Amino acid sequence: MKFRRDLQDIIQGLKIDDSIKENIIHWQTIDEKPAKNSDMPEDIHPLLKQSMEKRGISQLYTHQRTAYETASKGRSFVAVTPTASGKTLCYNLPVLQGIVEDETSRALYLFPTKALAQDQKSEINEFIQEAGLNINSYTYDGDTPANIRQKVRKAGHIVITNPDMLHSAILPHHTKWVSLFENLKYVVIDELHIYRGVFGSHVANVIRRLRRLCQYYGSDPVFICTSATIANPLELAERLTEQKMVLVDNNGAPTGRKHFLFYNPPIVNKPLNIRRSATLETRWLAGEFLKNKIQTIVFARSRVRVEILLTYLQELVKHKLGSKAIRGYRGGYLPTERREIEKGLRTGDIYGVVSTNALELGVDIGQLQVCIMNGYPGTIASAWQQAGRAGRRRGESVVILVASSSPLDQYIIQNPDYFFNRSPETARINPDNLIILIDHLKCAAYELPFTKGDWFGTTEVEEILEYLTEERVLHQNRDKWYWMNDAFPAHNISLRSASQENVVIIDQSDVAKARVIGEMDTFSALTLLHDEAIYLHQGVQYQVEKLDWEEKKAFVREVAVDYFTDANLAVQLNVLEEDRLRNREQVEIGYGDVSVRAMATIFKKIKFDTHENIGSGPIHLPEVELHTSSSWISLDKEFASLSKERFEQGLIGMSQALKHIVPLFVMCDPQDVHVVPQVKASHNEKSTIFFYDRYPGGVGLSEKVFQGMEVILKETLHMVENCRCQSGCPSCIGSDTSAETAKADVINMINLFLLQAK
Amino acid sequence: MSLKNKLNRLKPHLSIGVPSGENQESIQVEVPSDLINHDIPFSEIWRNENVRPYFFDNDYCLVREVVYPLTYKHGNYRFEDAVKAVKLWNEKGVHHPLSATGHSPGDMFFFDTETTGLGGGAGNTIFLLGHARLGVDSVTLKQHILPHPGAEVALYQSFLETIDYSTLVTYNGKAFDWPQVKTRHTLVRNHVPKLPSFGHFDLYHAARRMWKHKIERMKLSFVEKEILGFERKDDIPGFLAPMIYFDFLERKNPEGLLGVIKHNEMDILSLITLYTHLSFQLLGEDKNRSVREAFEVGRWFSYLGNSEKAEETYASIAKGSEVEAINAKHALAFEHKRGRNYTEAVCLWEETAEAGNLKVRIEACIELAKFNEHKSRNWQVALHYCQKAIAELEPLDSEIKRDRWLEELQQRVNRIVSKMERNESNKTIS
Repeated sequence: MKFRRDLQDIIQGLKIDDSIKENIIHWQTIDEKPAKNSDMPEDIHPLLKQSMEKRGISQLYTHQRTAYETASKGRSFVAVTPTASGKTLCYNLPVLQGIVEDETSRALYLFPTKALAQDQKSEINEFIQEAGLNINSYTYDGDTPANIRQKVRKAGHIVITNPDMLHSAILPHHTKWVSLFENLKYVVIDELHIYRGVFGSHVANVIRRLRRLCQYYGSDPVFICTSATIANPLELAERLTEQKMVLVDNNGAPTGRKHFLFYNPPIVNKPLNIRRSATLETRWLAGEFLKNKIQTIVFARSRVRVEILLTYLQELVKHKLGSKAIRGYRGGYLPTERREIEKGLRTGDIYGVVSTNALELGVDIGQLQVCIMNGYPGTIASAWQQAGRAGRRRGESVVILVASSSPLDQYIIQNPDYFFNRSPETARINPDNLIILIDHLKCAAYELPFTKGDWFGTTEVEEILEYLTEERVLHQNRDKWYWMNDAFPAHNISLRSASQENVVIIDQSDVAKARVIGEMDTFSALTLLHDEAIYLHQGVQYQVEKLDWEEKKAFVREVAVDYFTDANLAVQLNVLEEDRLRNREQVEIGYGDVSVRAMATIFKKIKFDTHENIGSGPIHLPEVELHTSSSWISLDKEFASLSKERFEQGLIGMSQALKHIVPLFVMCDPQDVHVVPQVKASHNEKSTIFFYDRYPGGVGLSEKVFQGMEVILKETLHMVENCRCQSGCPSCIGSDTSAETAKADVINMINLFLLQAK
Repeated sequence: MSLKNKLNRLKPHLSIGVPSGENQESIQVEVPSDLINHDIPFSEIWRNENVRPYFFDNDYCLVREVVYPLTYKHGNYRFEDAVKAVKLWNEKGVHHPLSATGHSPGDMFFFDTETTGLGGGAGNTIFLLGHARLGVDSVTLKQHILPHPGAEVALYQSFLETIDYSTLVTYNGKAFDWPQVKTRHTLVRNHVPKLPSFGHFDLYHAARRMWKHKIERMKLSFVEKEILGFERKDDIPGFLAPMIYFDFLERKNPEGLLGVIKHNEMDILSLITLYTHLSFQLLGEDKNRSVREAFEVGRWFSYLGNSEKAEETYASIAKGSEVEAINAKHALAFEHKRGRNYTEAVCLWEETAEAGNLKVRIEACIELAKFNEHKSRNWQVALHYCQKAIAELEPLDSEIKRDRWLEELQQRVNRIVSKMERNESNKTIS
């Protein structure tokens, strides 16, 4: 008799069971793909060949061969490599061959996280050892002991690090790295697609600094990038490195059979089109797999969701597997905690993991059979990355996308073609964002003085250098600008967070042993760490006892309650300068600089299972002001020939719908672009919907919205029209409006707008 | 929008490390148009301070030179005492990291820098390199001053041209000054001579060893005041040096900078006195050496593995009646143990196990237990000392140490008891 069901049994069950079958909107089976091979290049050193043969590699995949040949010609390239396609050989092979040919040459590897760097070090060292070569590769990060740092600097052929370390520890101390900079032959940038938005804009500037120093020391490295599937890998790579690049995308790696299921929770309230909670459905589905000890990864969109699901699932399988068998994984956890979880997944001690997109990256966690996404991750690229977590190393696997009732999710799940056939999103960066640019110009000036006529990458900087001189940061002498300040500029600049200051979260459950359990950027802290907020960490609930805004500290204490909190943010917006304007008769599409003033107002307490509102309270935090770039659309309200009230309701509904479609077109996290309606905007006295970048100065997201406004409106219209509700629901125009006519009004307004915009 | 407008708009988001309290008036960048003629601003003032320009590579730096007679007294010593110290090292031939054996006084290079920031990093500029050297009848102090940031080639050229010594003497120079010199030198390395390799006496670490029991912070000015008998008047605190230098760059008036130059000069002179004092301490030539200081000297020799010097030093203190005498006896016992003179060691420990402070008493008991367990095999006595030590543990401050000792002692007790039992049963059998 069989107690446990295997994956096949469960797949069959999903197909047969009526109550489940009807929720599966789409079942895409992606067939296995055979390998496309290519012969090993002739010139590869025999020892390297041998080493690969020992690991069963006697031929290369087509893309690996192209990568090798491109690098050998001294040309920079970006290779597009899906999960588990053998991307590491794309760079390890040319790099190692390069060092074999010239023992003095050096390579620098950049990975977005320390964990990835550790993984790669083990892999490349195995390779080197098997080949019996005398090549030193080291990781260089905050964990590197002081006594071996000097060795890494002097004798490391391959230095494996992350952009943050390059920014704050290597570049500002370049004189200690002379042998690296003088002989730098290759720079490898893995997971290129991660470098978008704010982070990407910072890293592009770090690379400007790196190349500036290379030039000073007389080297001109070849850049090798690898990227997950995005729409514009070549453009991104060229923008990030400011180098001419070759695109390598002839992927020859085989893939296993994969079932991709779109699961829409059943409707529980027909007229309002309310569906069962995606979180509850995810819990149930994940539970089915986990109870049968099938390794499963669950992705949730937010940190809060991760914690809620974790609590649910740990409870569910507590007796069968023990609560340690299912773990959470997200940014706020401390590094040691994360390492432990990664290891547990690889060894199989941990069956399930609930994660934010932190695990999208290529951290090696071995073979998981099932991936469940609680809600659409926001971008096609991201969804495929997460899906790649299941069945990395061939074999059959299942991916289930559980749609929430958000408009974006409903749009995706009802348009499978869109997801499976459309090219994925474009990654945007803006290295010339003034705030980011100035930060890195300061660092660059610290590293080496600027000379009149110098450019910083592709940007002319004389005006900024003069500004910094006025601000007494630089000193001009003859035709040069020198760093003349007692600060160490890289220390005050974080590549990752939107705001420079983070709120530290301190657990004081044990008064005698208060400890730091995480940190969070200030903008998020407004709504997640206000007094009385419930903050979840590793499934443990904490209540914020006091948020010390001045000191940027949140003091929390462990509690056990059956609700979570959700805060409202009130926003005021002023246009400071119109940069671009497309004016039609009664419509205006604009782009420019704005000032945003945001204030957290109230929070609601929401019960876990039923999601009902069980109380609320005020939030007393100061207004936060943000100067950024924004695009907007304005309408004359007379023109819609609607009553004032209906028009306003329509505007709110329209912005709700837009909010969910925008991230589709601008590859970004949903919270990176904010959509805010104003009945009467102060700059043109018209009803306006704003789309603004959340980072000071903007990173190009709202500009992209400006360019694609018509397409965005068209898709939004499409989504609202196709929604199966009658008069508007949370899945299309949101639930804030109660008017019967709201949905029709929104459709009407978008239509009129599109007509005008033509 | 113009860049200027944008910059002003974004100002609140731009963290420009401008020091607070500093006025924000814009700077008139003074580019001396007649630099080709090397017309040096405020040259009159500079000249009065014995400062001369040094020209190189179409630029210049400033060099200040001051000569002191050997009879000059800085703190408790005259500079001629430093010469004497070097002589003493050579006569006695004692091995020690600070030993000048094999050197003549003129080989020493007393060295200190002033920089535009704290900590290492490529952008931290050294604007003052100062050094002094013992001559036949005088001390020559030289300071190389950076008049503006572009002049580093001239600065390092003038600096490197004049140094032909073999040993650096600094205060925390191993961790800070010399690495920073290397860093800045790297940036001009193609235009100036190579950096020579030096021996290096870092007196900061020496001072810490000797006086951390006495002085809370090991800043040089504290050591001067507490140990060297020298007190500064109107001294400019080191942390202000960057601000003063930035101000000098803008206004070119050396007025403020002269204070920093003076500060650097005092630092260097104190290095000479400090080296003299340390040498006399280490060689036992200082009549006023306190018992505690002598004890630290003994510990240092012991740490270096120089048992002979350590024993000699400890023995000299052990004769006395001060608190340190007990500590010295205790330390001396360890030296005896190292030299396998167990009888002497046990004799001393028996005394310190009663008369020492808490930590000494416990350690002595443990050592006596070890001796009686392994050497004399007098298990009853060994057991007695274990129990005595355990009884002493309670008031110990360090929880970690207490737990570790307790565990060790309990193991020892168990082992001794089982040895006794085995012995007992062996006896019965035979």
